[in-house]
Order: sequence, then structure tokens, then C-alpha cells
Amino acid sequence: MVRVKNRYLTVNYLYTGQSRASNKNDATFPELLQFHQPTPDDFTAGKLVRAIRDGVLELFGDYGLGMVNTGLKVTYHSTATSTSIIRCPQAHYEMVWAALTFMTKLPKPNDAPVVVRVVRVSGTIKKAEEEVIRRARDLILRAKMAEAGRAEAGLVTNMLTAVDTSAHKEREREKQVLVDVDMDSAEENESESD
Amino acid sequence: MFYDLNVPWSDNSRELQRTIAFLDELGYDTVALAHTLTGRLPADLLIWPPQTPPIPSPLPFPTSRRLRILRRCNISLTDAATNHRIPQLQKHYDIVAARPTDEKTLAQACTNLDVDLISLDLTQRFEKHFKFPMLGAAITRGVKIELCYSQALLSSDPNAKRNLIGNATQLIRVSRGRGLVFSSEAKSVLGIRAPSDVINLASVWGLGHERGKDGLTKEPRAVVEFARLKRTSFKGVVDVIYGGEKAVEEKETGKKATNAQKRKAASMESTPVSLSEQEKPASKRQQKRNKKAQEESEKEKADE
Repeated sequence: MVRVKNRYLTVNYLYTGQSRASNKNDATFPELLQFHQPTPDDFTAGKLVRAIRDGVLELFGDYGLGMVNTGLKVTYHSTATSTSIIRCPQAHYEMVWAALTFMTKLPKPNDAPVVVRVVRVSGTIKKAEEEVIRRARDLILRAKMAEAGRAEAGLVTNMLTAVDTSAHKEREREKQVLVDVDMDSAEENESESD
Repeated sequence: MFYDLNVPWSDNSRELQRTIAFLDELGYDTVALAHTLTGRLPADLLIWPPQTPPIPSPLPFPTSRRLRILRRCNISLTDAATNHRIPQLQKHYDIVAARPTDEKTLAQACTNLDVDLISLDLTQRFEKHFKFPMLGAAITRGVKIELCYSQALLSSDPNAKRNLIGNATQLIRVSRGRGLVFSSEAKSVLGIRAPSDVINLASVWGLGHERGKDGLTKEPRAVVEFARLKRTSFKGVVDVIYGGEKAVEEKETGKKATNAQKRKAASMESTPVSLSEQEKPASKRQQKRNKKAQEESEKEKADE
């Protein structure tokens, strides 16, 4: 089979929450939300690709960059939820993953300290997207539980149901498309991390 | 169960609390807060702050129920001849680790010292390559080798990263994948990576996925359990589960309390079946004898 196989890495950006929380906000701003802050908007997909390329070049040299460069692409990038899906060649996904692990801050001019965490590795983009949705929903649920008993709980429940219905709609749409794609992707295998 | 056995203790409790909350967020279950000691140890070890972690007030986080915190002490071995007073340290800390700085101290730590872990500063270049017999001796004794990954991640010195990768690769090759423990030595939140990320790094350096996962779960668990057994039981065989209550009631009866509770393990309350009275249940032989005696006395009565 002369098929180019890819791996899709679902990636979260976690922040230290230092600059945000001043001392008086300690009790009110839960740490969970501090860690999962939204990313600053000037961190675009293009900057991310460049950052990964620099990382791979630094760790694995020209050989690594050559191997990885052709298949490297950012398929999904959301600064609001601090999540990305990155496509890379199947044989060398570990290199890209290592480069992400070694990243300590966002590229210039931002320079914010960040911890990059790979949440799932999958062979199909569908599973990667499902993971993104699932994570967002779980995060809202946990934030809601962490703030249980406060006035915002009502607001959070609304957010939760909104994500639920949108995810449901998306799944319905996908089911219609899925039947066609399934034959081709039947042989693609998935590997799960976590 | 993911373990991170090396989180340096810092006096900045806000930072430390954030670090621990981050570890919890990433999925770690047991964390050991570490103190580093160098040189001669003072005679009195009780003056330190390391007693503070069990006290919840400086570290308030809601998931403390899930996260288990241990106390650890790193001894920096600079001179092979100093007395390290390990038994005393063992009383105060859950884990005691050695950090050798050169050949001799490494050999001493591997073969002689009664530590739970050997931790190497992997950002330094070692003159000689690691040898298998030395590390093998440590592993068969039950002492694991620890790789700390966060210094190279964060340091600005380009050599730190290269040394870490070189040393880590060597260690993985020499130890053949067994007896390795991964831990961050993260002074701040930035140095911590999720378990999967660490396993992937290990895989890039030559350790398979299974062994990598072991390095975060099975091996540290062995260290923690072994250390616990060393401290609380006799060679891992005999353990006092419940030593009996202190002799408060005995004072009222006027008896001398000392003799009554002289041997804790031998006291009656330590038997697993709880007895409401202080009598020992009659042994089966005794019961048989009693029964027989009773029957005979009844027989005699009937005969009369």
C-alpha cells in the first residue's frame, strides 16, 4: 500500500497561572481554570508550526527536520480552548512529540511560559476531534464541580448543555458522512496515549 | 498510579502548592517532597521544617485525598568517608536518596549504603562510562536509579540538554531497562511534564513503552513500599498491626503498668479476633478435657 500514513497529536497548552492571579484572587479563581487558560491570540497556527520546526531542528538536527517537515501541519488550532491538533508522519511522530515536550514557552514576542501536553495520538482525525470535544466538556464539568454552590453554577450548566447539543449535532452530521469514508479508513490503526 | 518522587521542597508555599496542584492535574497520584542535605549532618535532626507537609494548613488543596504526599531526603555524597547517619534519617523521612558526585561515591552508594534510591545529576558529564556490574549490584539489592528530567528542560545552558540525553541513553543501555525511575526535579510548575510525555521521551532515548511506563508506576512503587517495609517491619516479614492500647486503665486498678505492657506484640489485644473479655479462649485440647471432665463428673453423679 503506497499510502502516506499520518498521526494526529491532540495537544493542550497549560499555563502556570502566575501572572493572572494576584493575591486577592486566590480564593475565587480556581486553579483548574488557571492551568487551562486561553492562549493569547497572537499565537497562530503558523507560529506553532514554526516553533515545532525549530524544536525538531534543535533536538534532532537536519535529519529530523527533513523527516518530519513534509507531513507537518496544524489541522486545528484554537486559542480559546488552548488546544491544537497537529498532523505528522507516522514513522516519526515521537520526534515531534519530543519537540513539543521540550517547549517551555510560547514563541516571540509572547514568551509566556507554557507546558505542552499531548493528550492523544490517533491515526484518524475524527478520533482526534472527538477527543478535543470530550476534553472541553470534561473541563467544563470539572470547573462546575469545583465551583459548586456558587452563583455561576447556573451559567456553567447552560454552557454545558450548549456544548452537549453542539457536539450532538456534530455527531449527527458526521454519521452521514461516515458511511462513505469508512471503507477507506478501515485499515488505519489508532494508538492511544494517556 | 503515577509517582513523582522528586519535587524539591521550597519555602515558597504558594509556588509549592501550585506545583502540587499541577501534578495532580496531570494525573500523578503520589508525590514526594524532597530536602537536599550536603556535608556533615548535624546531630539534632528535629529542628527542620520538613515536618510541615503532613500539616494541611500551609498546603490547602481540595484533592489532597487523592494525592499522597511523602517526605524524602537527598544526601549529596561528596566524600566517601563521612558518616551519613542514615538510620536517623530513615526515622524522619519516608524515602532517603543518595546523590553521588563521582566514581567512588557512586560505587559506595551502589554497594554499601542503605539508601532507597540513587539519583544522578545527569546534566554533568561523567568521566567514565557507567558499568553494568556496579549498577546491577544496586538493582539486585533493590536500590533503583533515578533519572530527573526537568533541569535539562529548563536550563539555558545548551550542554545540559546534551548531557541529559547522553547520560540517560547510557543509563538505559547499561541498566537494560530495569530498575529505572523517572522523576521531575521541578522547582516550578514549568518543569513538570505529563506521564505520557515522559514515557515518550524515554522511548526516544531507547526505552520501550512498557519499560517506560514501569519507570513511572511499578519501579517507584517498589521503592516506596520497600522503604516503608524497611522502616515499619522486621525484614518485611513481621509487622505490628495493632500494638495494644496504652495502659491508662491499669493505673486505676493500682497495678504497675510497666510489666503489663512490656511486650506489645504479645498483648492479648493484638490478636485479630477481638475479645470483649480479657480471657484467652480455651484451646481446643483444653476444651476437650473440660468436656470430658464434665461428662465424667456427671456420670459419677448419675452413678451415686
